[in-house]
Amino acid sequence: MTSSPAADLATSTPERPTRPAPGRRRSRAGIPNRQTWRAWLLLLPGIATLAVLLVFPLYRVAELSFQDFGLRELNLGGAEWIGLDNYRQLLEDERLWEIVLPNTVVFAVVNVFLTVVFGTLVALLLFRLGPWMRGIVTTAIMAAWAVPAVTGTYVWVFIFDARRGPAMRLLDWLGLVNPETTNWFDDRLTFYSIATLNVVHHGFPFVAVTVLAGLMTVPKDVIEAATIDGASAWRRFWNITFPTLKPVFAVVTILSTIWDFKVFAQVYLMPGGDGLNREVLNMGTWSYITSFGQKEYGLGSSIAVLLTLVLLVITVLYLRVIFREEEL
Amino acid sequence: MTTRPWWSRPLTGLAVVAVLAFTLFPAYLMVSMSVDARADDGSRRLIPTDFTLDHFSFVLDEGNFTTYLRNSLLVALATVVVSGLFALLAAVAVSRFRFRFRTSVLVLVLVVQMVPMEALVIPLFVQAKDLQLLDKLLGLVVVYVAFSLPFAIWTLRGFVAAIPKDIEEAAYVDGASWGRMFWTILMPLVAPGLVATSIFSFIVAWNEFIFALTFMNDESRYTAAVGLREFFTAYDNDWGAIMAGSTLITVPVMIFFVLVQRRLSSGLVAGAVKG
Repeated sequence: MTSSPAADLATSTPERPTRPAPGRRRSRAGIPNRQTWRAWLLLLPGIATLAVLLVFPLYRVAELSFQDFGLRELNLGGAEWIGLDNYRQLLEDERLWEIVLPNTVVFAVVNVFLTVVFGTLVALLLFRLGPWMRGIVTTAIMAAWAVPAVTGTYVWVFIFDARRGPAMRLLDWLGLVNPETTNWFDDRLTFYSIATLNVVHHGFPFVAVTVLAGLMTVPKDVIEAATIDGASAWRRFWNITFPTLKPVFAVVTILSTIWDFKVFAQVYLMPGGDGLNREVLNMGTWSYITSFGQKEYGLGSSIAVLLTLVLLVITVLYLRVIFREEEL
Repeated sequence: MTTRPWWSRPLTGLAVVAVLAFTLFPAYLMVSMSVDARADDGSRRLIPTDFTLDHFSFVLDEGNFTTYLRNSLLVALATVVVSGLFALLAAVAVSRFRFRFRTSVLVLVLVVQMVPMEALVIPLFVQAKDLQLLDKLLGLVVVYVAFSLPFAIWTLRGFVAAIPKDIEEAAYVDGASWGRMFWTILMPLVAPGLVATSIFSFIVAWNEFIFALTFMNDESRYTAAVGLREFFTAYDNDWGAIMAGSTLITVPVMIFFVLVQRRLSSGLVAGAVKG
């Protein structure tokens, strides 16, 4: 981005000072000129929308988390401040430590790992292919990415449906499970294994496509030199490709972490995921069910705040990576 | 490059087949079941034997899916128009003007983009209830515009910044006003970017589940993603109907996605929203 504002020509004000060095922001105090007014006018609709619908609700959810806010308060207004009671109740709840946190954290860690590793392997595969084959596989990956979370989840639910699902019929045919007595959606581990398949399937295309774009930028001669020197593919990857693409890997890992921490629809829409089966609650579904099932909006907000704080930490990491890469 | 061992080629081929199978299996299953007369039969084959369109006519006629799809389409189109317009104005402001707090605005946009939608359902539900926006399509549009804006601003900013200043300056030399320059010079040049962000906003609105589920109580206001749940019953699921409905939801998005794949992947690294 260059420094000279194009609109200068249109709005040449007489007292214009000399231009600052390229890339530096002009920090001129005093009366805003026409150019500044125009910029803020253009920004107004967008910034106002973000302020009312994202920033204010963020404050509101924090406020609600300190209140006893139930159905009565929702309908009649007013709410009692109860300080940290919601958080106390939350942190003293065994369910948080034994069910919800492990379901959220372990699931996120496993899924991020699998998504990034599988996505990278697919990217390396795509990189080896000729332009034709690469086009076909990329299109297929895009198609998988496009499947909405809702419909994708239903298909995975069907695949593991006890009586009719192809996976269960295959396992039955192999004599590994008895479809009369097995329901993989009842058990926490199998429930989340199915969710993992779903989330990795939905998440790896982003990693594959991004890493592939990064691979294209790795200088070919360096790799060739290493190959001639006898470095194996494994060593070439860890000694050349990975260090070069570190920022790319950081971005895909952090974004996947954010997405996998707050996974909601993929769990909520599975049998029992909507609160019927308490064993499979994660932070997203717990917050939702507490608020809209039990009508304890205050308590539900405190869970949402907890989740947001976790994501905030990850976001800060993300921003540091981004800003190192790109000049604003 | 150097020669590869003899097993390299067949192994690559095998990997391609495996990736294609894993990637496409769910979508294949969805579409093939939607046209299979034996979709709900425990003995169905992976390749449909009895072709039928009954599932589609059932969901569209008796399953109210026509209404749900219409609602989804209205919400998505309104989101596209409003967020496209707001984002374009903001993108021009941050990439063509220098003013105080410009960097702060950009950082703000990037930060709010990371705010999880899921964490804001509760306050936005309360706000929407106070403003009597529940059970109204407008309520959803407002929310989706907010959630698609940061990505749209961030992406369009790149497109606007890529347009050479000389072109604009030439317009001024020819005596054009700023407004005229905006419509006749900038607009046509950022059109490809606008298409990309429009498709993105469309997908956000079309796929969204949690707000559509929370805001809409009245069945006639359901969007397609939520309406699909109607085919699930406590004891038995009508899988043929579910897959037909899913196909109707998925196919348009899939076509869009494949069309804009390149733009999406580059934009997603800078911004970050998942459809």
